[in-house]
Amino acid sequence: MSEAEAYSFDADMRKANRKKAVAERSVIFKIKRCDGPGKPTRWESFKVPIKEGANVISSLNWIAANPVTTSGQKTTPVVWDSNCLEEVCGACTMVINGRVRQSCSCLIDEYAPLEGDTMTLEPMSKFPVIRDLWVDRARLFNNLTRVKGWVPIDGTYNLGAGPKESHDHQQMRYTLSECMSCGCCLEACPQFTKEEDESKWDTSFIGAHAISQARYFNEHETGKKLKSDRMDTLVGEGGINDCGNAQNCVKVCPKGIPLTESIGAIGRSATVHAFKQFFQGKK
Amino acid sequence: MSDNAGPIAKHHFLMRRLHSLTGIVPIGVFLIMHLTTNSTIAWGGLNSRAHGEGWMNRAIATFQHEVSFINNMPLLLIIEVTLWGAIGFHSILGVYYAMSGKGNTGEYKYSGNMRYTLQRLTGYFGVFFIFYHVATLRWGWSFLVPGGAVWSHEAASSTFAAALQGSTDGFTGWGLLVAVFYFVGVSGLVFHFANGLWSAAITWGITISRPAQKRWGVVCAGLGAGLMVMAWASVVGFATLDYDQAVAVEKAMMDQPAHAELEHEIEAGSDTAMVDQQDVDG
Repeated sequence: MSEAEAYSFDADMRKANRKKAVAERSVIFKIKRCDGPGKPTRWESFKVPIKEGANVISSLNWIAANPVTTSGQKTTPVVWDSNCLEEVCGACTMVINGRVRQSCSCLIDEYAPLEGDTMTLEPMSKFPVIRDLWVDRARLFNNLTRVKGWVPIDGTYNLGAGPKESHDHQQMRYTLSECMSCGCCLEACPQFTKEEDESKWDTSFIGAHAISQARYFNEHETGKKLKSDRMDTLVGEGGINDCGNAQNCVKVCPKGIPLTESIGAIGRSATVHAFKQFFQGKK
Repeated sequence: MSDNAGPIAKHHFLMRRLHSLTGIVPIGVFLIMHLTTNSTIAWGGLNSRAHGEGWMNRAIATFQHEVSFINNMPLLLIIEVTLWGAIGFHSILGVYYAMSGKGNTGEYKYSGNMRYTLQRLTGYFGVFFIFYHVATLRWGWSFLVPGGAVWSHEAASSTFAAALQGSTDGFTGWGLLVAVFYFVGVSGLVFHFANGLWSAAITWGITISRPAQKRWGVVCAGLGAGLMVMAWASVVGFATLDYDQAVAVEKAMMDQPAHAELEHEIEAGSDTAMVDQQDVDG
């Protein structure tokens, strides 16, 4: 069993649903619509014929071609964001039947196996809506810059090859590298709340993804040169200490990244960093 | 961090970690000692050196003995003020921090998420409970006690039983409410401490791997279960205590001249010593 499966709350239910899925059925898609930033929201339902192997994206494609609600009213096509269609880019993340996940990998058979079953689609609630199911995840990327989520390689001369890394260490970091910045961990986190005011982003809770990326780059032989800078951010307001240990992040992470272990590890680094600052820090 | 940030934001890390630390030392440590003392009403009958005959009388005497011991500690007021300060600090910051989150147990029914929300709810309720508990029994705000009982450290069992039951002769309706309030309050606080101990280990970076967090979780759950039994035994013990019986035991202890027991033992000891001497002489 992979980590991701082990964490799935309703994996058994979805497996059972797939077995009892009825062929040639129609499913109701109940979608939370919004025409633009700051505009009011409304619910619209669509009756979609389900073909074998249909997923949420293919169903949204069908709705785009037939934008007529269940009450027979013609409406605008539903807008959503997507790219890779194989659960590696994170763009199509949305709230499906109340819980966050990628819509491209979401098979209808697993959620609505019977005729007339309902699929509920909502945009993520922690980010501003651009339109319908499409959200602006700028704050997520802003938080990666807060922890300097990169390796400093620029110089005025050739810096040469970096230090060697052991195989085990590589493996550990590979797991952390799988983060696709989708936002699932933030959507499910009770401590990460929606913040529309951009000036407050740098003091609001940074989120599990950035904490884990800070660990990823702190563990990199060249990346660790920025460790002290990263820890300065993480011991500050909105940093590691704002985590409330609900541990939803690790449960919803589609890549099975051990986010709570990263939180523990950064917690330890923060303790060490703070003691170092107290006894030898200059500020 | 802006220059005009408040003290909580300016010393963010220190405040957060002090909040975590005060929950364990002194508050958590005190909770363990407090429940150990109070649960003597349930197991004090085991104390064979108590001043009383019969299980219940020995329990009352043991509890009274413990309370008298605590009240004879030097600089007790400093210990108390330290505790009140720590509890006040932990409560105010705790409520402030808890309000920064927004629970979502409706959508994400994971056990960790349930504990996250329960930790905050027991925190809010705990502040309320501890305030009532300390105000009525320590500061003597007896107008908040049904029946108006005033707790006394010299008649610890009887006065507490009266405060918990609403009168000096058995339960009243309001008394029952107080007893239930105590039951819910102590249960919530024991959970709050055990769960807080689990999450503090992640906060400080002591438990990192998932198996380590799980193992520490088992330890915390075990400690919590033990404390929960002690907490329930205390509340049930005092809620079912007979007021008159408690008064009788306490009176007998008060009437006994100081160190009477000790003198008796010394006398008995010297007799034995003489006997031993005779044996040697003989």
